[in-house]
Amino acid sequence: MSERLLDLAIRYGFLILLAGLVTYFSVAAPGFSSPRSAVFVLQSVAITGVLALGVTCTLVVDGFDLSIGAVATSALMLSAYSMVILEQSAPVAVFLCLLMGAFVGLVNGLLIVKFRVPDLLATLGMMFLLIGLQRIPTQGNSIATGMSLGDGEVAEGAFSQAFLWIGRHRLDLVIERLVPMPVVIFLLIAVLVWLFLGFTRHGRLMYAIGSNERAAGLVGAPVSAYKIAAYMISGVTASIGGILLAARLGRGDIASGNNLLLDSVAAALIGFAVLGAARPNAFGTAVGALFVGILLQGMTMMNAPYYTQDFVKGAVLVAALVFTFYLSSRRSGAGH
Amino acid sequence: MLRRNVFALTAAAAIATGAGQAGAADMPAPFDNAGDVTIALVRYISTGDFFQAYLSGVESQAAALGVELRVFDSRQDAALQADMVDQAIALGVDGIVIQHGLTESMKDAAQRAVDAGIKVVAFDVNVENAAIPQIEQSDYLLGRLALDQAIEDHGTSWTAGYVYVPGIAPLDRRHVAWEETKAANPGITETARFGTLDNPIANSIANQARAVLQANPDINVVFAPYDEFAKGVKIAVDEAGLTDDIDIYSADVSTADISAMREPGSAWVATVATNPAVVGEASVRALALMLAGEDPGASVIVPPTLITQAFLNGEDIRNMDDLGAKMPQFQHADVAMSDWMPLPPR
Repeated sequence: MSERLLDLAIRYGFLILLAGLVTYFSVAAPGFSSPRSAVFVLQSVAITGVLALGVTCTLVVDGFDLSIGAVATSALMLSAYSMVILEQSAPVAVFLCLLMGAFVGLVNGLLIVKFRVPDLLATLGMMFLLIGLQRIPTQGNSIATGMSLGDGEVAEGAFSQAFLWIGRHRLDLVIERLVPMPVVIFLLIAVLVWLFLGFTRHGRLMYAIGSNERAAGLVGAPVSAYKIAAYMISGVTASIGGILLAARLGRGDIASGNNLLLDSVAAALIGFAVLGAARPNAFGTAVGALFVGILLQGMTMMNAPYYTQDFVKGAVLVAALVFTFYLSSRRSGAGH
Repeated sequence: MLRRNVFALTAAAAIATGAGQAGAADMPAPFDNAGDVTIALVRYISTGDFFQAYLSGVESQAAALGVELRVFDSRQDAALQADMVDQAIALGVDGIVIQHGLTESMKDAAQRAVDAGIKVVAFDVNVENAAIPQIEQSDYLLGRLALDQAIEDHGTSWTAGYVYVPGIAPLDRRHVAWEETKAANPGITETARFGTLDNPIANSIANQARAVLQANPDINVVFAPYDEFAKGVKIAVDEAGLTDDIDIYSADVSTADISAMREPGSAWVATVATNPAVVGEASVRALALMLAGEDPGASVIVPPTLITQAFLNGEDIRNMDDLGAKMPQFQHADVAMSDWMPLPPR
């Protein structure tokens, strides 16, 4: 009986906690339980959520990508640079960002697979490299329409409406202008990654590589190619996150992206605990991101200061890790 | 060798243009031989538009004087910044500008520099030393002017959202103005206080502000005394479709801020700012006065300027250069001046 209870706690504990949280905030915080409020939560987690889905892919092959925050802010700067200074169109800007993300992922993958640099170190190096690189073209200045380029010239380009549309357009769903594009993109990527990891041969091979690289190699899986692919996916999703950020902010803002990195890693790790998966998975990551988003939204509505929010975020993460590593090991030790 | 020659040439050119600008022929010692004067800028923090512009002001004023400038950047490492002061002392510089930092770590280092006979000025860090003038942009006045404008636009009775992160020195000083305004006007109520410095700051603030506006639909004024805060609140206001119902008052300005304020129907109606480049220039001028044996005073305050959306639209101002051209008090602050002081070319 108690074993079944434990099993239930592991499987549904986090989802029950999530439901409890929503109920509590609906009662305690005025205006929390409305369709608009729900969409706000989704919007606030869309960008970190997209990044977290990328990091999930690297976690699946037992890797780690510390450069995603920097990739996202590099994409932010690159899109602003190509539109405002090079005066390119929105599709070109988006294409350049995706290309940059894929290229950074490729370099990360090659560093790890071919040059045998440990994943944390390779991506840490890449993080610093990108934080510096993104500032070189503008000498450390943010990019905005009308900025002076030195020698008396002024940048004539602007963020195109089509580009801003990606971050700001809202689709009608029951209520007019309800669902913002970033939320749609987040959900789309979540479904794609979920299908890819859970239901394709490639995804299953990646899990196999993650749990035992040697064994997977011995049975003929192209380990190196899959690992590189995982980092490329992570780079591309991070650059999508950066594009969404740029389209929301409407300018190329100087930022290190470290908070984006930390929040998205937290979401992916919380995801381990969802449905007792005890391993990286797309559904869990999305729920993890949502969980953090709901907590922060509710607490902000109740006027809680920012440091209590960091505290609560940390507490949730620690709880999730206990769920994952302690309870799951007891379960596998007891029965399976 | 070649580099030194090139430097001497540019320095000479700078002296020529600078002297022409000021209309003064001769500068007092040691600037009669300005190429031999070296000053150091020891920075605590350098990332971001504000600090970039501050540096450009220091550079242009140093070039106008014709002195050699060395820049040390500790990248927010307080201990390293103190070491860099010692490095500058060892290099035998004539003057040091300390830019930001922590009182605890910089107090002793600054004293060592003074003991070594080096003239020192400090920007936005109190090193508790009577021999060291303080250069300040008045953060208190920054907040004060913005709130006065809010009262002018909305009267003395409104519901406010307030963006604040305690423990950040300039924000704490702006906070004093907010507390005073609230105390003086009981009709002003603060229904929500939020804030974070998670970067990208504007994005994190936008997420918070969305929640706050949803929970407090009666807010009609947001006081966001830092431009990144204001930018975030503006995004949230736009997303919530409340541009007509809410006015944002802030502090600081940049080219990006100008375009945000000028977007059609923008809720960001006013900001108050000092030009960081002007503060940088004033820092170097104060140091130059000391080197020439004059006294800039115990504190040099660069006064802030109110910039309203209506003014920006009326004058069709697109960037910081336009702003300086249309608003002379923004381009040049008449502080730490002397007859002989050359100004950077405008």
